[in-house]
Amino acid sequence: MIHDFGIVWSERALLLSGFANTAILSALSAVVALLLGCILTPALMSKHQAVSGAARVFVDGMRCVPFLLLAYIVYYGLPSLGIRFDNWTSGLAALIIYNAAYMAEILRGAWVVQPREPIEAGVAFGFSEIKLFRRIILPPLLLSAGPVLGNQMIQIVKDSAFLTIIAIPELTHAASSIQSRHYVPFAAFITAVFLYWGLCLVIEAGVSSVGRVAEARR
Amino acid sequence: MAQLVLDVAGISKRYGDVEVLRDVSFQVGKGETVCVLGPSGSGKSTLLRCINWLERPDAGQIYLNGAQVGITGGGLVMGDRDLSRIRTRIGMVFQHFALWPHLTVLQNLMEAPVQVQKRDKAEVRDEALALLAKVGLSEKRDSFPAKLSGGQKQRVGIARALAMRPDLLLFDEPTSALDPELVGEVLVVMRDLARDGMTMVIVTHEMGFAREAATRVLFLDHGRAVETGSPERFFSNPETERARQFLQRYAGDAAGGRR
Amino acid sequence: MSGGDIAAIFQGAIVTVTLSLIGILIGLPIGLGLALLRWANVPVLARIVALYVSVSRATPLVTLLLLLFFALPNIGVPVSPTSAAVLALVMNTSAFNCEVWRSALANFPKDQYEAAQSVGMRAGLRFRRIVLPQIVRVSLPGLVNEMSMLIKATPALAVVGVVDITRAAVRIGAQTYKPLPPFLVAIALYVPIVFVLVSLQRWIERRQLAAKVAA
Repeated sequence: MIHDFGIVWSERALLLSGFANTAILSALSAVVALLLGCILTPALMSKHQAVSGAARVFVDGMRCVPFLLLAYIVYYGLPSLGIRFDNWTSGLAALIIYNAAYMAEILRGAWVVQPREPIEAGVAFGFSEIKLFRRIILPPLLLSAGPVLGNQMIQIVKDSAFLTIIAIPELTHAASSIQSRHYVPFAAFITAVFLYWGLCLVIEAGVSSVGRVAEARR
Repeated sequence: MAQLVLDVAGISKRYGDVEVLRDVSFQVGKGETVCVLGPSGSGKSTLLRCINWLERPDAGQIYLNGAQVGITGGGLVMGDRDLSRIRTRIGMVFQHFALWPHLTVLQNLMEAPVQVQKRDKAEVRDEALALLAKVGLSEKRDSFPAKLSGGQKQRVGIARALAMRPDLLLFDEPTSALDPELVGEVLVVMRDLARDGMTMVIVTHEMGFAREAATRVLFLDHGRAVETGSPERFFSNPETERARQFLQRYAGDAAGGRR
Repeated sequence: MSGGDIAAIFQGAIVTVTLSLIGILIGLPIGLGLALLRWANVPVLARIVALYVSVSRATPLVTLLLLLFFALPNIGVPVSPTSAAVLALVMNTSAFNCEVWRSALANFPKDQYEAAQSVGMRAGLRFRRIVLPQIVRVSLPGLVNEMSMLIKATPALAVVGVVDITRAAVRIGAQTYKPLPPFLVAIALYVPIVFVLVSLQRWIERRQLAAKVAA
């Protein structure tokens, strides 16, 4: 058994590059998905039925479809419509589109329970709609939704593992390669599991420090 | 004194560095209504909760009808089974009612007699309906607790405790979570119970009720039983300075229009 | 895409739903058991459960499944793809369910419990008649949410060769060189299944909120 971990250690460069890819994929898609979510949220809350309806269909649609299926559609399905991406672009695009919907829904959930008065005060002070959202509504939303957004980031890390199936060399893919090359399944995959765990612990620590900031501003 | 129901002998309790109860002793005879009075933080609720061992006293003994509560004949701390058996004899009414929200009013009353005492369901039901009539809530029997006012909830809480046919009833500030206008309806029920000869220990801030309905008053201060006696004497001529101050503050509050 | 292809995707749907149901039905009580170990603060075991939950929540189902499927035979436990799939689903969902149950237990009002003690209910009865009915109600939205998460994770089962909706669709796409139609059929199957659960969760939350407002 110790010998098996020795083999994994000898392949650490491969494993670490997989880990780095997972971290980059997750971080990049988390940031972009959150930004898109911030744009999508006012659309969900829009008074115009057409806008809010369209946003609602998109968000609910994404919430009802497994991530891997979306990734398959982007990677294998779109080429038959003449749109072709490599596996990296497809994987990243799928992660972003999919999670933007979840981020938007999380922010909407936090929005509806926000106290109305600060927002009304913003209106009274003559903020334009866009400025009102960006400067008055959004900041407390991000703070109060912090823990749930953190959970979603962990979900993104886990979703990124699906991308091993379209051959993106992320962490699970690296562990699979090591296992098939040396036949050390337990050592290879358990190492990957603990690396995922470490990544999630970092996210959780980040969330709880955001939580402390939020607490101080309550 | 009539037949002894409750004998509390030298109870002490501390939380960390704080001594909540210091060597408290008192006795309750059958049919007595003992009101436990005292400033907040004086240990009244803790004393009450020690009687049925929701809190475990650090020292002292408690006897219900001559049998020790919480300690077995062999001197060991009672397990869940023995403690539960004794608790069926001691009813408790909670400050925040603690009605079971997933059960209707009638089910709240029937739950323990049927499940714990294993009594006949039909008989328990008849008795529960009679108790609901007694507290004036017959029409609420199929409502869920969430639909009741605070005063109604507490009357159900009392009926639930009575449904076990307890030898002793404990009240933990039964009216302090109620809106002022709802306090009366609960006190009426408690007064009736006192008149009917139910044995009760009541922790309360309702001085008027204590004066009128108690057979005896126990005054607690900083965890000590400072004074005990008839309500007439306690309210008109307290023995200790602490009790005098306590009563003055209440009289001041009453004059100022507060409860 | 032929009628037979669509039938094959439906076959996959039966596999997806069956395995999900098995995972949910086994995972629910196990999650509750784990939560109780933590709630009762059983020495050592509570710590192990906490660690298990923390690691499981961070582990992608694909990775867990590969670990089980390849490593179990290595230590002399032969596993079929299906049994590895069920085991992975149960491990995954029980960790999440544990958290849902645990937070319900942690927020369970103390005086509810004491009221049960005060009428002489013993531990088993207290839990069965007073605690359980109330925490089930509180946990329900979280548990239903976890069920929809579980179904959305099931395409992972394909990596060990289980032919679920997604795998069936991929296979047909590869055979016909037209991957989009089978994927659209697959979506048409997933959406209603998950939508029912998502709507159920919303309905429960709304109903409970209404009950709270009325009270």
